[in-house]
Order: sequence, then structure tokens, then C-alpha cells
Amino acid sequence: MAPTENDIAIVGFAQTAPERRTRLTEADLVLHATRAVIAEVGIDKSEIGFTVSGSCDYLSGQGFSFVQNTDAYGMVPAINESHVEMDGAWAMYEAYVRLLQGDIDVAMAVGVGKNSNSDPSTLFTIEFDPYYLAPLGTDTWSLAALQARALLESGKATERDFAEVVVRNRGNAKSNPFAQVSGDYSVDELLGADYVRNPLRRHDLPPTTDQGAAVILARGKRAYDLCERPAWITGIDHRIEAHLPTVRKDITTSVSTKLAAEGAGAGKGPIEVAELQAPFSFQELILSESLGLDASTEINPSGGALAAHAVMAAGLIRVGEAANQIIKNGRNRTLAHSTSGPCLQQNFVCVMEGDR
Amino acid sequence: MADTVQEFVFNLTFPFSRTLGSTISTFCSAMAQGQIIGVRIGGQVYAPPLEYDPETSADAGSDWVKVGPKGTVSSWTWVPQPTHLHPLDRPFAFAFIKLDGSDTAMIHVVDAGSESAMSVGMRVEASFKPVEDRNGRIDDIAAFLLATDPSLSEGAGESYEAPAESAITEMDAYCDLTFIDNASPTTTLWANALMEGRIIGQKCPQCERSVVGPRGMCSVCAIELDESHIIEVVDRGVVSNFTIITPVQYHGQTETEPFVRCSIMLDGANAVLAQQVILEIPASEVRVGMHVECVWTPQNERSIADMDNRSRGSGGDAIVGWRPTGEPDEPEANYMDRMM
Repeated sequence: MAPTENDIAIVGFAQTAPERRTRLTEADLVLHATRAVIAEVGIDKSEIGFTVSGSCDYLSGQGFSFVQNTDAYGMVPAINESHVEMDGAWAMYEAYVRLLQGDIDVAMAVGVGKNSNSDPSTLFTIEFDPYYLAPLGTDTWSLAALQARALLESGKATERDFAEVVVRNRGNAKSNPFAQVSGDYSVDELLGADYVRNPLRRHDLPPTTDQGAAVILARGKRAYDLCERPAWITGIDHRIEAHLPTVRKDITTSVSTKLAAEGAGAGKGPIEVAELQAPFSFQELILSESLGLDASTEINPSGGALAAHAVMAAGLIRVGEAANQIIKNGRNRTLAHSTSGPCLQQNFVCVMEGDR
Repeated sequence: MADTVQEFVFNLTFPFSRTLGSTISTFCSAMAQGQIIGVRIGGQVYAPPLEYDPETSADAGSDWVKVGPKGTVSSWTWVPQPTHLHPLDRPFAFAFIKLDGSDTAMIHVVDAGSESAMSVGMRVEASFKPVEDRNGRIDDIAAFLLATDPSLSEGAGESYEAPAESAITEMDAYCDLTFIDNASPTTTLWANALMEGRIIGQKCPQCERSVVGPRGMCSVCAIELDESHIIEVVDRGVVSNFTIITPVQYHGQTETEPFVRCSIMLDGANAVLAQQVILEIPASEVRVGMHVECVWTPQNERSIADMDNRSRGSGGDAIVGWRPTGEPDEPEANYMDRMM
């Protein structure tokens, strides 16, 4: 592909080692991730025209944590910086849009989450509808389980299918040096475990992870200075549905994912690899169907969100993994997905292509 | 020396009082009366009621409909170990409950006794709290119970006449979360030094600036600083900035009189120690350029239990505050162009 000056590519990706509980602060995680990606791409930080991060104060319990995190960028002289209270995938979207303005050539997007400070069974209750859900302590695991049972009732999947997703992802994760949970498991062994939220067992839930990640994007020909085979972003879109899962017509499918995929042009060619942020095993089944993926697409060779899931970084890591399939593995066309909100409320899809 | 700090436990609690708007006020006021309502938007009844049509975003209007108190479970899950935020302290179910007269489900709890009692299609019935315990909230329904009589609810689907003025227009929302942070390696170094009555900094090998407090990085060069970069910093310096805070008695505020918090540029350092207390003089006499020295808590009374990674540069209980030395004020030019 001969890029125009409006084509934008991922040219580098780095992540910190995922840990169940790190001693590092969020700012430390940002520092390690950004230094690694800057070194990988081989630029000076002064060449970055725009920096944007995705993180959430509530995860670490620190007000304005994203302000302290900016120490890791080295802001003398002052830099052009922004922040989203969302996964780093959405930060990457902002970096993409910023590059489209055409006045800068290089941008960096960061996602960071120190998730171990809080308890996921209580924390996310404050994310939900304050009138109809929060007073009941409606937790994210319970909402996912209600969606899972709806999927079982629809006849589209079984608990065995959920376990098979886990077995495949944990198996894939064995070859990912940045996996927190990996190994060989049998479906029958997994199905013998107790429920955490019937019909979900512990292995159907994401691990709790502390991790940071960063990507560098470049515009037009500048991408070739920084990367031999850039991952050109050929389509990117994100869509959101009603917050209350019971207002959505059918939560066994994801309308927002389908629309985002159409917007990103996912169906315009074969997808060789898809990296999906499915925090709960069964959600990978819903996403695959909504994205129109079939057996010709390899899903989550990294092990996906079941191998490591730092909320606020896990989506950007999907982007980085899918980009690396082009940059390092010679693939031609890959897809990255990220999600936010209860029961796959909001979904992000990015399609990338390499030069042929 | 062994680590003196491993973990910091802190609670995030803040009381919000939310105004409800006309739709949710109507719902909550009806709940206090033991009546569940929905709203008809086009041909669909949504319960609980929405303010806007989820399809078109048009105003949902006020075509209120009585729903329930019985309904049918369309999905459920089981919570074997409830948390302090859940409404029941024994194992229970969360369920999608399509109330009689409604086209959409409500998310609520079912007090079913055991997991095996739960099934999709089961009939349940709202059990309201006693009138005196109701606050006009969705949890005025203590739980749904197995319906003794599965027949349709009487009156479900009929119009509901809302009073002209809603009785309930606000709701308390209280956030109560516990966090456990662990001391970062740099925080541990900093805290251990404070316990010994020492202030340490870290000198950047690239720009040669010295930072104080538990930072672990040079925020100019964006490089990591570790134990090998530690320098000793004197416990004397100059007030480089300050603010006088008139306390508002918000939740957790213990100060009652105006007080000063200042930034101190320690002699020989390039970054300030922030949020410091000035002793011995009234707030009105604090000024930029004033020389101060550290007043330490006696060694056997020092504690860094209240410190954490968040209050960067805080002295915990090891430092009482800073007292003016009486030296002539430092000219501005000598402490400009330093880091926050």
C-alpha cells in the first residue's frame, strides 16, 4: 500500500509484565511501558507530538492519579497531552484522530491499570446506574453471569463452550511471555469447578492484573522511518448501547460490536487474526458472532483477556498484539477489539493492514 | 534495614445526595407507597421507567403504568458470598424480572434460599420493606420471593396517576470502598529514611536535578531513579509557594480554622516538598522566600502508618512541620525555575 499523508499506522508496541500485584505505582508502570516503546521505535521523546493515556482513578483509589502519571512522560518543556477515563484503546483512537489533523507525525497512546488495589466484586458497582443498579450492589460479575445465562437459554452456547474458550486461550497464552494465566487444562477439569456466579466459574472471569502498555502511531511516510512494516489502520470505529442491559433488545448478541465492525470495514477482506477483549469467556462467543468471524480467523493467539486483564490497558494490548501480528509476524490483515461498560455495552473495533 | 511499610489500607467514602429528575422521582415516590411503575413509550412499557426513549432519544413522557408486584424470571445468577454492598447478607440470586404489565425486565434480587430453587420462567413476587423503613428507592423492595400464587398480578398494566408533586426528589448515594495499596520501592526508601530523621532525594544522572520525596523517576528526563541515585538532603529550605485554606466542614475534614499548606524548596534540591505545615507563626505571616527548618517528631513517637504512595512528599507523622529560622528572606531569583 502506498500510504497517503492521511494514513496512520501503529509502528511500535510495548507492555509491562502483567502481575497479580505489583509494588510499582501507576506512574512507574507508565514509565516502564513508554520507555520500552520509545526504545523499540528508536526515537527521542521530543519527537512525539501528542501523548494520550487511558486510566481510571477508582482502580488504584487515587484521585487525579492520571496527573501524577504524566511525570513519566518528562514534560519539560511542556508537551501536548490528553487523558481519557477509558481503556487505552480509546486513548489510541484519540491519538489517531489527533494525527488526522495533519500537523504532527508521531503520537503515543498509553493504557495503565493498577487493578490489585481494589476488589473487583465491589469496585465496579459505582460504575453502574446510580438509581436502579448501584443501590442493589449490582456487581460486574453478576451482570456478566445474567448475560451468560441468557446466552445459554438462547441455545447458542453451552457451559462446555465457555470452558472450551478458556482452554484455548490459556493454551495460546503459553507462548505469550506477557501472559499472567496460561497452561494446559481440560474442559472436564474446568467444568468440575464451583460457580462464582452461576453459570460462571472462576476460570470464566478475567484475572486481576496490574499492567501498563503503550503504542506509538505515525502518519504517512514517517511510519517507514520508525518501522519496517507498519500496521496501517484501515478502519476504526466505536459504538455504545443502552447502559441497562435489560433495555437492550437481545444481550446474546452485540449490536454495537456489529456496527463498529461495519464502520471499521472489517468485512471488506479476510481477517487473519482477531484480538478480542472478552473479559468473560462466553463474551468471546458473542463477539465472534457479532464480528462475523469464522474458523478462518485465529482468535486471541495471545490468550486474550483471560490471560491478563488490566482494566484500562487490556484493550490497548489487543491493539498492540494485533499490530504486532503485522509488524513482526508477517500477517496482512488483523482486527483488534476493546470493550467497556456492563455486558459489552460499548465496543471498539480497529482493522489494520500491512504492505503487500 | 527491613521494610517498615508494606501496605496502606484506605477507605474511599463520600456521601452524595442525588436529585432524581421527574421520571425517577415519580418512580421512587411510588416505591415508597409500595407501587412499582413503568412508563409506556410508543407501544412498549419500560419498568423501571426511563427518561428517554432508548430507540429515538425522544422524551419518554409520563404515561405511567402499574407493573408487578409479580413477575417472571428471564435470567438469574447466584451470589454465594454477598459483599457489604449487597442488600442481603445471605446467599441470594440476582435476576432479570419481567414484571407483569412490563415489556422489559428489572434487575433485582431474589431471596430464594437456595440456588436449586432458581429457574428461568419461575414466578416471583416483590416483598416490600415495612412502610417506615422505605426511603423511596429501588431497594424499598427488600427482595423478590417465590410467588405463592403464580397468577397474573391484579391491576398490572393499568394506568398510574402520579401526584402533581413527587414526595421523593432526592436520594442518598454513599460510596464506601476499601483499597489496599502496597508501598512502592521508592516510598519504602523514603519512609525508612523519615523514620531515621533523614530526608532523601534522588539525583538524575542525565539532567543532574535532584528530586525529593518518593518519586522514583526524573519527571524532566522520564527515566527511572532507584536506590543508586539517592542523595542526602538537608532538612532546611525556603518556602517557594503557599496557600491559606479556609476549611469547609466536608466529610472527613478535621481542621476548623484557616491553615497554611506550603511548598518548600530544600537547600540543594531542585524539586519542592509539597503540602507542608508551617509552625510557630500565624498564617498571615507566611511568605514566599521565608527560610524554614524541619521540626521532627521525637524518634520513638514517629509513625509513617498514615503515609501512602498518593501523598507524594508527605512526611507522615515523622515531621511535625517547619519553623521559620529568622534568616533574611531568600531573593526570588534563587529559587525560580524549579520543579513542582
